[in-house]
Amino acid sequence: MSDHDQQNTTSSTETRVAAVLGQFESAGALKTAAEKVRDEGYRKWDSHSPFPIHGMERAMGIRPTILPWLVFGAGVTGAIVAMLLQWWTNAVDYPFLISGKPYFSVPANIPIAFELIILFSALTAFGGALVLNQLPQFRHPVFESEAFRRATSDGFFISIEAADSRFNEQKTVAFLESIGAKVDVCRVAAQKPAIPKAIPWAIVFLVTLAFLPPLGVAWYRASTKRLPRIHPLHDMAFQPKYKAQAENDLFADHRSMRPPVAGTIAQGQLMLDTKFFQGKDDDGNYVTELPLPVDRGLMMRGRERFNIYCAPCHGLSGGMPEGLGEGGDPKDWDGMVTIRASARALTGDGTWTPPRVLHGKYVQDQPDGKLFETITAGVNNQGIQTMPGYDKQIPVKDRWAIILYLRALGRSQNASEADVPETERAAPAN
Amino acid sequence: MQDSGSANQPSDAPTCRVSAPRGFKLATTLGGAGLALALLLAVASDGGLRHFYYSYLANFAFYLSISLGALSFVALQHVTRAGWSVTVRRLNEILAANMPLLAIMFIPLAISLFLHSSGPYVWADPQVVAESPVVQHKTPYLNVPFFLARAVIYLGLWIWMARFFFTRSVRQDVTGDPSLTVQMERFSGPIILLFALTTTFASFDWLMSLQPDWFSSIYGVYYYSGATVGGLAAVILAAMFAQRAGYATEAITTEHYHDMGKLLFGFVVFWGYIAFSQYMLIWYANIPEETTWYLARQKPAWLVFSVVLLVGHLFIPFLGMISREVKRRKVLLGFWCVWLLVFHWLDMVYLVMPSLTTDHFPLGLIDVCLLVGLGGLYVGGVLRLAQGISVVPVKDPRLGEALVFENL
Repeated sequence: MSDHDQQNTTSSTETRVAAVLGQFESAGALKTAAEKVRDEGYRKWDSHSPFPIHGMERAMGIRPTILPWLVFGAGVTGAIVAMLLQWWTNAVDYPFLISGKPYFSVPANIPIAFELIILFSALTAFGGALVLNQLPQFRHPVFESEAFRRATSDGFFISIEAADSRFNEQKTVAFLESIGAKVDVCRVAAQKPAIPKAIPWAIVFLVTLAFLPPLGVAWYRASTKRLPRIHPLHDMAFQPKYKAQAENDLFADHRSMRPPVAGTIAQGQLMLDTKFFQGKDDDGNYVTELPLPVDRGLMMRGRERFNIYCAPCHGLSGGMPEGLGEGGDPKDWDGMVTIRASARALTGDGTWTPPRVLHGKYVQDQPDGKLFETITAGVNNQGIQTMPGYDKQIPVKDRWAIILYLRALGRSQNASEADVPETERAAPAN
Repeated sequence: MQDSGSANQPSDAPTCRVSAPRGFKLATTLGGAGLALALLLAVASDGGLRHFYYSYLANFAFYLSISLGALSFVALQHVTRAGWSVTVRRLNEILAANMPLLAIMFIPLAISLFLHSSGPYVWADPQVVAESPVVQHKTPYLNVPFFLARAVIYLGLWIWMARFFFTRSVRQDVTGDPSLTVQMERFSGPIILLFALTTTFASFDWLMSLQPDWFSSIYGVYYYSGATVGGLAAVILAAMFAQRAGYATEAITTEHYHDMGKLLFGFVVFWGYIAFSQYMLIWYANIPEETTWYLARQKPAWLVFSVVLLVGHLFIPFLGMISREVKRRKVLLGFWCVWLLVFHWLDMVYLVMPSLTTDHFPLGLIDVCLLVGLGGLYVGGVLRLAQGISVVPVKDPRLGEALVFENL
């Protein structure tokens, strides 16, 4: 009990008793003692042990924390914030239609809501635990005790603070000794050591300094400037290279983009076979036969490409189901885009030109070369592009494969019983 | 702490022993009667056998999941060297050790493979295979001999795992040999790996293959998450019944119920997480071959059922069980265990029965008969296993730790 006096000899100022510390033999003794301190009616006291002790909070009479409710509230807030954020950004502020999906739908928004529930809950649990435990706490009277250093290895302590209304140095020491403690009195300087004035000023200065960059950015964004804008990363904004369409004094024509050397053709650009690449012979007439060998593989390729590129509008069957012919009700169509667009056009929402029935006479009577031209360039009806060109999406050979499949569709959709080989015919099955 | 633990060890171990399992006769009688009535209903009505088989599969999956959940719990306690759970571990070991009975219960399903039009597994029907290129493509995996061989492997491994823990734990009751604990801990890691693989593929084989053209890689986890909910709920109720009958009244405390309740709550959320993970990817991609499974469950006959399952298996128990007080009160915890067992059973119905029909909601008397029938036999098997052994592993080296365990 005298060692603390020696410790404090460095400062000659007056000291006062801040807490008394009682050391116990074991975790069990600490728990029993804690029950007695609790029953004695002390409020500002704590127990210290190197490891958690089961049942300690009951022995100390600690009431259940409100932290779970804070975390629950934070979780609910996170869910609401996530839903509102997604609803406002996707459905109100910047509505953007993706694949016909609704602007706002619950299943798509649950992952974000889930993440925000966890984020808000975790931050609240962490911050709440710190605040409710009054952490961080850099100083405590018990640190004045030499014996207290053993609290992190094998010491079991109870500290009662002088701030407690029941605290009385002699009585409290006697009480702790009566319940089997080795008592140590912790003295601290009577007056709190003053914080050097420079520290708060430094904090104010640093906080102010931290506000300058965002303020500067906001000012530059909000005001109009006569001077060119500032480039913080100069070599990133101005790179030593020429961009497309830029001027270049190195060449006589001052163009950075160089035209191909006269009389040369780039690899893969030699398209002498006009029948194959344009669907026309040398005289400009449409070809009437496919300019490439036909086999089952090409037909299968054509069906696959057709189902990908053509069927969304024209339908998997090429148009109207059997027997309806041209001009039928678009809702009987099997092209998803046509069905949806026609339904919307009926309510006055947008315009829609129904596509041609591909197995109808109009299309089937056209020569192969004309069909090739249509797939390549699309259909422009009096200045309105009713079908886009597919030259960018579909390679030349695949266009011919599609035309081959179109011919097969034309035959199959207009087939009669006579087209079926006699051996294959059977009574219609139900 | 250790000395206080051994002091609390029950000195009169025999009081923990289950001597005459009351209710064994009642359970087996109910089971036999339920099965007989279900068979009678199956034969009497048109298409009844088909309904019988689907319903049998759903109920088999339900009782199997309880044993699997218990088995995974035991392995988990050993792999983490958990001390708190020793007093409730034996109940799990008993439930898991019921696996041979479940292997016998599987036999009718094996027979169903040869009843092409009545069996639940359409891929076993050569006519269905001939008509579907997708199923043809899967025949190297989905064929009768390989399916049966896999079933033997799954059930054989589960029986071995369950017996492994059960026999050693019971032997320790007599010898008190701590090396048995070390041995179980050493094997529990590989057993968990084997358990994950067998459970995943068994759920693929026995449940997912009901719709052989559909697939979901998370399906095994889905079944496991439900199985753990079912297993934990069943074990908590079993502990309550055992204590009511006068066994382990001191050993199993509020603290153990609280922790089991926490695990149960956690796995309820896990089930929702997995169920939604499966749903959202399929919903968002909107690919016809993937959506068929949910489409069947969103037809008018099943839509309300699907929503009820979501609300009753996740939202209501989530809010109901979130409080600490609920998990520490036997009546409330017991209520939620019964609730979750009911919804876990409905989950199994949801997995199986839409494959029977989506024209109408098919649940009827036959399903109740099978629930009671298989349930009676299952409970009878559990009671027979429990006969003559202690409800608590009385000489487990960590028993002291479990007896003084408290939640912080």
